[in-house]
Amino acid sequence: MKKSLYSLLFLLTAFVFTSHAQCGDDLLKQALKEMGSSQYIKDFTVELIKEKKDVKTGYVKFSIFLNSNTQYKFNVANGASNIDKVVMQLKDKEATRVLASNLYNGKTFDEFSFVCRKAGVYNLSFSFKGGQEGCAKAVMSLVKQIQ
Amino acid sequence: MLKKFTYLTLTLAGVFLMTACGGSSNKKSSSDELTFNDSLANAAPLELSEEVMSDVIQNISSPVEMASLIKSTGVEFSQKILNSTNQIDNYNTSFKRALNLGVYSADLGYINTFDKNTIVIDYLVSIKSLAEGIKVGQFFDFNSLKRLATNSNNLDSLMQISISSFNKMDSYLRSQNRSNVSSLIVTGAWIEGLYIAGKVVEQTNNEGLIKRIAEQKDIINILEIILQNYNKQPSFSELAEQLAKLKASYKGVTITTEIGDPKTIEQDGKLVIVQDEISHVDITPEQVSAIIAEINALREFIVS
Repeated sequence: MKKSLYSLLFLLTAFVFTSHAQCGDDLLKQALKEMGSSQYIKDFTVELIKEKKDVKTGYVKFSIFLNSNTQYKFNVANGASNIDKVVMQLKDKEATRVLASNLYNGKTFDEFSFVCRKAGVYNLSFSFKGGQEGCAKAVMSLVKQIQ
Repeated sequence: MLKKFTYLTLTLAGVFLMTACGGSSNKKSSSDELTFNDSLANAAPLELSEEVMSDVIQNISSPVEMASLIKSTGVEFSQKILNSTNQIDNYNTSFKRALNLGVYSADLGYINTFDKNTIVIDYLVSIKSLAEGIKVGQFFDFNSLKRLATNSNNLDSLMQISISSFNKMDSYLRSQNRSNVSSLIVTGAWIEGLYIAGKVVEQTNNEGLIKRIAEQKDIINILEIILQNYNKQPSFSELAEQLAKLKASYKGVTITTEIGDPKTIEQDGKLVIVQDEISHVDITPEQVSAIIAEINALREFIVS
């Protein structure tokens, strides 16, 4: 009995540490490292979990303001247990039109750069192909100002 | 005995799990029980929900981008443009503290962008004081920030950690239904960024900066929505009146959009996408002067 209790406690602790490492600060550190020499602006936490009645996860979106004549970078670090890589899409203010995506020619990239030529409000949305559960940390950074 | 041990371990494990899975944004600090004793404490009912406000506030442009654009013009750093840290004792209400926390954060971004680490500490100390004054000092690890500031090799990390601290503080304020405080910080930072840009335009007449100032027309509309949401508080109402004057100075500025060629380039495993829409700004030198005059007046209202 005592032995199984210790095992349970060990498993619970292991679960906590693993899930934290997968989606916590370490993942953000990885995303920041992969940001490279760009100038950090903000980061986004993506945690898509199925609710009881859901068959698929949906998407999460963040509202951002981009300036014209500016090159931004959006890079993402995926949780270790993600089945697929997260799909990151930059959409217009109404979130109806996709302007940029890390999914290109059937390949999912870990980052994309966006040369903004019109200042305004945009939406950054994240989802998983097939609606699986998963987590990710994304970073928005400034690559350069185009004078 | 074993039963007792079982309950104890399961309780401890449960508590540990709940704490560990809470995520940083849901963590509640000890400051939750603290409330303001002045005008920011008794917020009147909001026309827009905290959720909508939270979404709107996120759309205010980062002052770091403005600082970066200023640096790219080749103009030299000027400390005299910044809000002096000697002013700190004048900010004795939460309203003024929050606004000027934003002002100093934009100044810090400008200082960091130009790698002027000799004056970083003064600004960090001022930020610490104002942040503690509005009960959000817990988001700044000042010892680490000071350590980074004393080594010029660490300026990138200093920039990253200070921006990240501000982002966390902003998320916390919004999650605690204190968007009124968050909106003031954002307003202070935004206007200080514009003020510095205006000073550089007066000196250089740089076209890129003029365009950036003109394109803030959209942000004014967003800020107006935010501030009007709290205009039952006299201090917010006064700030909104000042902003209305700035908005009026933008009236003749026109921004048009044309559709260009979108481009997607894959190079060395990296994806670069060039936007298909291109904006054009139509602004006269008189309009630039009028806008800068209103920016200066609004900034004076905030820092005085």
